[in-house]
Amino acid sequence: MNRFDYIRPGSVAEAVAAASEPGAAYLAGGTNLLDLMKIGVAAPDKVIDITRLPGLDRIDWLEDASVRIGAMVRNAELARNTAFSAAFPAISEALLSGASPQLRNAATVGGNLMQETRCAYFQDPLSRCNRRAPGSGCDALEGHNRSHAVLGWTPSCIATHPSDFCVPLAALGAIVEIEGPDGSREIDLAALHELPGSESAGGIALKHGEMITALRLPAEATSFAGHSRYLKLRERTSFAFALVSAAAMLSMEQGTITEARIALGAVAARPWHATDAETFLKGKKAEAEVFAEAAGIALKEASPSGDNAFKITLATRVLTRALTLAAKGTPDRVPALPASVFMSSEGATANA
Amino acid sequence: MKDAVDAKLIVNGVEAGVEIAPGRRLSQALREDLGLRGTKVGCDAGDCGACTVLIDGSPVCACLTPAAQAVGRDVRTVESFENGVLDNLQQSFLRHGAAQCGICTPGMLVAASALLTRKPVPTRTEVEDALGGVLCRCTGYAKIVTAVMEAGLAPEPVEAPMAGQAVGAAIERLDGVPKVAGREQFGADMIREGMLAVRAIRSPHESTGFTLGDIAAWAAERGVEVFTAADIPGENRFSVIPAFRDQPALAVSHARMRGEAIALVAGEPEVIEALNLVDFPVTWVPEVSLGDPDQAEVGDAPRMHEDREGNILIRGLVQRGDAEAALRSATHVAEFAMETGYVEHAYIEPEAGIAWMEDDVLVIRACTQAPVMDRDDTALVLGLPPERVRIIPAAAGGGFGSKLDLSLQPLIGLVTLKTGRPARMIYTRRESMSSTTKRHPARMRARAGIDAKGRIAGFEFDGQFNTGAYASWGPTVAVRVPVHASGPYFMGDYRARSRAVHTNGPVSGAFRGFGVPQAAILQETLFDDLAIKARIDRLQFRKLNALKDGEPTVCGQELSGVGIADCLESLTPHWDEALARAAVINAQKGRVRRGVGVASCWYGCGNTALPNPSTIRAGLRSDGTLWLHQGATDIGQGANTVIAQIFADALGVPVGRIGLIGGDTALTPDCGKTSASRQTFITGKAAQLAGAALRAQLLAMTNMGEGATLSLDEGRVCVTDGTRDTAIELANLQVQPDGYVISAEESYDPPTGALDENGQGAPYAVYGYGAQIAELDVDIELGTVKVVRMVAAHDLGRVINPMLAEGQIEGGIAQGLGLALMEEYIPGRTENLHDYLIPTFGDMPEIQSILIERPDPEGPFGAKGLGEHVLIPTAPAILNAIRHACGARLKRVPALPHRVLAAIREAGEIGG
Repeated sequence: MNRFDYIRPGSVAEAVAAASEPGAAYLAGGTNLLDLMKIGVAAPDKVIDITRLPGLDRIDWLEDASVRIGAMVRNAELARNTAFSAAFPAISEALLSGASPQLRNAATVGGNLMQETRCAYFQDPLSRCNRRAPGSGCDALEGHNRSHAVLGWTPSCIATHPSDFCVPLAALGAIVEIEGPDGSREIDLAALHELPGSESAGGIALKHGEMITALRLPAEATSFAGHSRYLKLRERTSFAFALVSAAAMLSMEQGTITEARIALGAVAARPWHATDAETFLKGKKAEAEVFAEAAGIALKEASPSGDNAFKITLATRVLTRALTLAAKGTPDRVPALPASVFMSSEGATANA
Repeated sequence: MKDAVDAKLIVNGVEAGVEIAPGRRLSQALREDLGLRGTKVGCDAGDCGACTVLIDGSPVCACLTPAAQAVGRDVRTVESFENGVLDNLQQSFLRHGAAQCGICTPGMLVAASALLTRKPVPTRTEVEDALGGVLCRCTGYAKIVTAVMEAGLAPEPVEAPMAGQAVGAAIERLDGVPKVAGREQFGADMIREGMLAVRAIRSPHESTGFTLGDIAAWAAERGVEVFTAADIPGENRFSVIPAFRDQPALAVSHARMRGEAIALVAGEPEVIEALNLVDFPVTWVPEVSLGDPDQAEVGDAPRMHEDREGNILIRGLVQRGDAEAALRSATHVAEFAMETGYVEHAYIEPEAGIAWMEDDVLVIRACTQAPVMDRDDTALVLGLPPERVRIIPAAAGGGFGSKLDLSLQPLIGLVTLKTGRPARMIYTRRESMSSTTKRHPARMRARAGIDAKGRIAGFEFDGQFNTGAYASWGPTVAVRVPVHASGPYFMGDYRARSRAVHTNGPVSGAFRGFGVPQAAILQETLFDDLAIKARIDRLQFRKLNALKDGEPTVCGQELSGVGIADCLESLTPHWDEALARAAVINAQKGRVRRGVGVASCWYGCGNTALPNPSTIRAGLRSDGTLWLHQGATDIGQGANTVIAQIFADALGVPVGRIGLIGGDTALTPDCGKTSASRQTFITGKAAQLAGAALRAQLLAMTNMGEGATLSLDEGRVCVTDGTRDTAIELANLQVQPDGYVISAEESYDPPTGALDENGQGAPYAVYGYGAQIAELDVDIELGTVKVVRMVAAHDLGRVINPMLAEGQIEGGIAQGLGLALMEEYIPGRTENLHDYLIPTFGDMPEIQSILIERPDPEGPFGAKGLGEHVLIPTAPAILNAIRHACGARLKRVPALPHRVLAAIREAGEIGG
């Protein structure tokens, strides 16, 4: 790891000022940045620790019934928050399906949004990677790309976004609050992760020096609480990144879907908000064939970026199943092995 | 703006006396600045959880926590648990055998303590969930779960076994206290005054020439020293098998694999730690890499080693009868080809160690499975006579075969020899994974026939094993596979061929089973093909063909104590129940299908057709203490305990009276390597002989008969035969130069014989046997597999310690399950523990162990080896169960979802 200066600012303004200097990077829980620094993918010469900034570790319910989550709230704390998990059970399930208890105790809301792709070529400084070194090319295209993108990719970049948390967030229309050298702004979560273009590799749509201060979920997002699931297919039972995942949230009246929120994870450079499938489901009966058709619509643009056509099949099936489970109703408690395709019979509470 | 350089940590309630650089990882600060080395570092990436500590009561990975973020908060490490005595959780770990190698134990204890604070008597699921972020490669997790669940319960008093009752007793491991206390010293845990830190420059390419630039200037500018192949005083070629010496300690002008070391950088630890090695003056000239063995075998492929034509390291052959003719007349014939990939040992402890000089002797304390081999090869590389190198094995945080090979021993040895200063080296996870050995990838084809009665009529096997850049244990794999490819079955007409092929891939070496697990994957699934064709129950088919006492093996060896039939028989009720459960579930024709599979194993204990003696020494001091020089390296499997149990009963004293010495090449006679499932059998036999010899001396001195009873008192040995009591006053005896007043040393070398050109002979004196049932669910829409239950029956001849034996079975099944379902190492792409997946708590099924005792006439008290056997049947049993569930006949492991789905489609039995 390179040598770097460690700075602990006292306010957001101080943090932004320090981080706006060249070579500076924000440090939150450290679960991603320290690893990237170790493997030589990130080499900041100034690290701005924002974990102790006042006011960023709160969960506030606002007057309009929306909720504002400070960027430094830890993943475990958010998932464990009773009011939050009652209102957004699929988000809690997604959070609890990610990483391990140790990492969830450290990882922050803001850091989760900012995490980098797990593409092995991005992580290897000796490989060509447009995302890490723009214009250098992409070794993943001809490499080991079994787990790479099937939606929204271009030959510039076929990496996926690894977050579980972001998947239901994208579906629920989360807003990201940002502070930066040019002041405050807010963007839709969906716009935070840019897809690759014909030349660009995509990535996080923040300018140097900008930091996420909070995440907001609109009031209407709570209306899906009764029918919300996150389902995650991975190659071992726990503590693994998703091969494909799906968040399915429905609002239903007497067996008919009045509104749907759907997103897919690990299929694209951003959590994939499937709006066409949502529109399709509106007014439909909650039935197996309907869900299969909706999943087909969500994946209709999908194409393999390499040796990964199977991911399209799996994503379709995982989404179909997530919709089916959501229609059955949110379980009282997040099951042990959250989001697992292997259902637990014991129904014990998961530990955050 | 605050700079936190003056930060002090509060650890275990005490303010640390030193200032901590704020950007430092908490794990480093604890270990290196505060000397709290109970916190282990396994991956430095949050993937293994070995470094788990509590911050304000919450478990976090210290390796990903900047020290500054812990300042002012309550940091608790494993060192806080023990206050003079072990706490309940630690005692529970010891009592249940939850610590094997012990490297993950501190992380497990800390994570569990947070759960127990919240929930004193947790459920199984809660334990699995709370500990899911800590990886263990030894135990299969079962005993850890039990230990945590029962930590809050009052412990049942366990009585220490009396004299003569140690063998068969489920005693706690004798070396267990330091492991559960977090005091065990692994390779990275020892420091010495004035030590240098060492890092290696390694090839980023699979095949590359290289030229070094102005090293002297680079080194001078940074205040470090650089060592290259030119500095090596001895022969820069080593190998575990002397006849195949081909691997340089530091490459000379050309590297044949990714991760190969070409230079060392040594200096003051803080300088070395901060050093950026990216600008090291080396120019790489990458060359075409022979990545695939098919490509390497082609006639015009460049030779990787001068004398190895076609890049073939070695071929193996065993043939008996006429397989081809038998197959021609067989009633049913099945043929299939299968492939396996690289598998990484993934011990939680990356290679680490320290070297220093004691007078003119170079001392190396590092993790190892083979101290004497390390000594001899390090001496050779460094140009020293063997007696000038002393190897003290550090506690090994897992080995599984890979720590049989030299890794850093000659590297730190070189630095110490050249500088005169202690030198410490700790591999990074990436370094450990890229530069050390792997399980051989195999491409295998086999054909088998049966007669009308279902008896095997002809079996042919051909296997290509990718042995990577250097020989390592490639010859052993190539020889072992044809001997074992029959499985524990009678085959009169048999031909098995194998070859080990060089590529520019990682070195393939020893990994629990030496190629036999790969061969069993094909042989045992082919047996299901045959049973299905012949419409014979699959377990019955195996019983029908099981080898019996006196029937010749494929090598023509006639064995006694063959326990495979007993193992299969013991599985029968479990098999019937599992099939019945599957029938009920599958009648629903749902998306989850239940499958049941069975597979067997046999495995020869010890070197194949080669001598491999062990020597045990023991003695009494004049104060009445009894010492056992136990040189069989305990890498977690339990040799320290099992060998002592055998010795205790042979001598006739309580095992609790034995003090252990070693391993240390200066203090313990050679017990050979910890591999080939040989220690319980071979070193155990030496211990039995040494115990008996010592006993004979004591009885002779007192003129007592064989039935007499010994007891050790302060300064005396009391002997009684019920009618007469007598005592040997030890203080009256002459103290020998070795410090003992009475001592004994005995060696044992198993009777084996060389194999002839057809592989006929007696390659092993003792075999162990086993069979396992896998019961699992396949989600036929998603291709996922969840193993729900394993029943494992293993014939150990005589069970020395049932708790440790179960631990071996559970751990072996975990590794077999990984091989079957998730583990696939891809050089350069999976060099960490989040892209290379090993089983976690949630992946492990319920395991039921059945210990069979069919004594072997050769083994100590009838005992046979077990360590590798336990892994062999797991993967084929799982594959057979997958096929039973959904028809999917996998051609390649691991059975990842996409492969299972493709195989389901190909089988066409059910949708999917």
